[in-house]
Amino acid sequence: MRLIFLRGALLALVVAIWELIARPLDPVLYVAPSTLPQAALRLLNQPDIPPLLEHLGATVRAILAAYALAVTAGLALGFLMGFWRVVARAYEPILAALYAVPSVVWYPSMMLLFGLGTASKVAFGFLLGFFPIVLAVLAGIKQADPHLLTVATSMGASRWAIYWKVLIPGMAGTLAGGLRSGLALSVVGVLAGELLGSRAGIGYMINHVYNLLRTPEYVALAVLMATLVLAVDSAAGRLEARVKRWTG
Amino acid sequence: MDRVGVARLQVASLATLALAWEAASRLRLVDPLFVPPPTAVVASMGTVIQQALPRLGDTLLKTAVGYAIAVGLGVGLGVLIGSVQTLRQVTMPYVVALYSLPKILVIPWIVLILGVRAPAAILGGVLFAFFPVLVLVVGGVRDVEPVLVTIAASMGASRWQLYQKVVIPAALPAILAGMRIGLVFALVGVLLTEMFAGIRGMGFLMQQLALSFNAAQLFAATALVSVFSIVAVLSLDALNQHLGKWR
Repeated sequence: MRLIFLRGALLALVVAIWELIARPLDPVLYVAPSTLPQAALRLLNQPDIPPLLEHLGATVRAILAAYALAVTAGLALGFLMGFWRVVARAYEPILAALYAVPSVVWYPSMMLLFGLGTASKVAFGFLLGFFPIVLAVLAGIKQADPHLLTVATSMGASRWAIYWKVLIPGMAGTLAGGLRSGLALSVVGVLAGELLGSRAGIGYMINHVYNLLRTPEYVALAVLMATLVLAVDSAAGRLEARVKRWTG
Repeated sequence: MDRVGVARLQVASLATLALAWEAASRLRLVDPLFVPPPTAVVASMGTVIQQALPRLGDTLLKTAVGYAIAVGLGVGLGVLIGSVQTLRQVTMPYVVALYSLPKILVIPWIVLILGVRAPAAILGGVLFAFFPVLVLVVGGVRDVEPVLVTIAASMGASRWQLYQKVVIPAALPAILAGMRIGLVFALVGVLLTEMFAGIRGMGFLMQQLALSFNAAQLFAATALVSVFSIVAVLSLDALNQHLGKWR
């Protein structure tokens, strides 16, 4: 109880301090929290601002497409490689090394190959989301108890049965973690792509109001996006925790 | 299969990939304007290096500054938050939330405040690298064996000695893990800010190459940054292992 109170007090304190600092300063540079509700309203009802719901929809669709591709390709390639231990041993270091590359370096190439439209955002979101998923599959297969595998094989279990009955339950926790990071990164990829140049989506809207120096509207959009991302991520976190409890 | 076999498979796969790419591009299965063959990419490396090395230097300098600030702040605050229980319980939900937010949403504001100049890119790097370092260090300090601390305190260790001799060495693996991941994030932050705002550096150069459809040079530049960052991370790994042995 005391803890919740302290947490609330900290948040209130930070917002209050920010309000006090921002009030006397230039409103174009420093946005006071008290101006945000009005800015949010302006986002909805001013004709010179692109329609919010339409662009939010475009962003969500791009994220869903990128994530669906990342999950499909990540799981498929991960399990394919996992089937052959040698292939996994050979390719995992390559994938891990690529994962150590700062992800944004791929974006200009996506832009070149897929243009400024939605396709390059989906491609970038896919690329970012793909790595944690495929690496989680490989890590999960590696951590499977070799003892259980031997027992199952010696009792005549088929390869398929070993996958479904031994490997997947054993790796579900790791896999859930990878799927969650993949989702977070797909979101980042799409948002980053939109902010670096686009014609639709929340990132496009942010750029639009930002270039008009309508900073309160930009901050309102950023807060909206941050809230949505946090909501999705905490839901994914709860799901991950549940899977981990399940499989122990 | 042994080590040599695995290495052979790696080389063979990469060679096959390069050959297939070369063939696809030469036989015009893909448009060579957008997907130039690997040989063309290698050939343009010379031109790119002349142009890109100074820009890469700009970017790396900014990354080094941002990284140093992020690691300093992250380790300092991480040790503080990790060792004071109430502070940790009150602040950690916020830290974790900020950690998982897409930091790119803040970059336009940073550019607005600091202008289209190097400090904006440095702050972008700090912003991206700080939270992963902080979260890992807090975790490492929190999980230091309490027995160690109790024994040292009962033997009369001062607070300073306690941190210097017990807490920091015990949390060192977590601190090093934070420094490893922080490096890549600092590079991401700097490159992203350069791309967004058009600040002189590798990020902006790559963006320009893409917009002028200079695919061969763009791929060469991408390879340059990638190789550099992989080498940096692998040498940090080697350092970690070395320190691990020493511990």
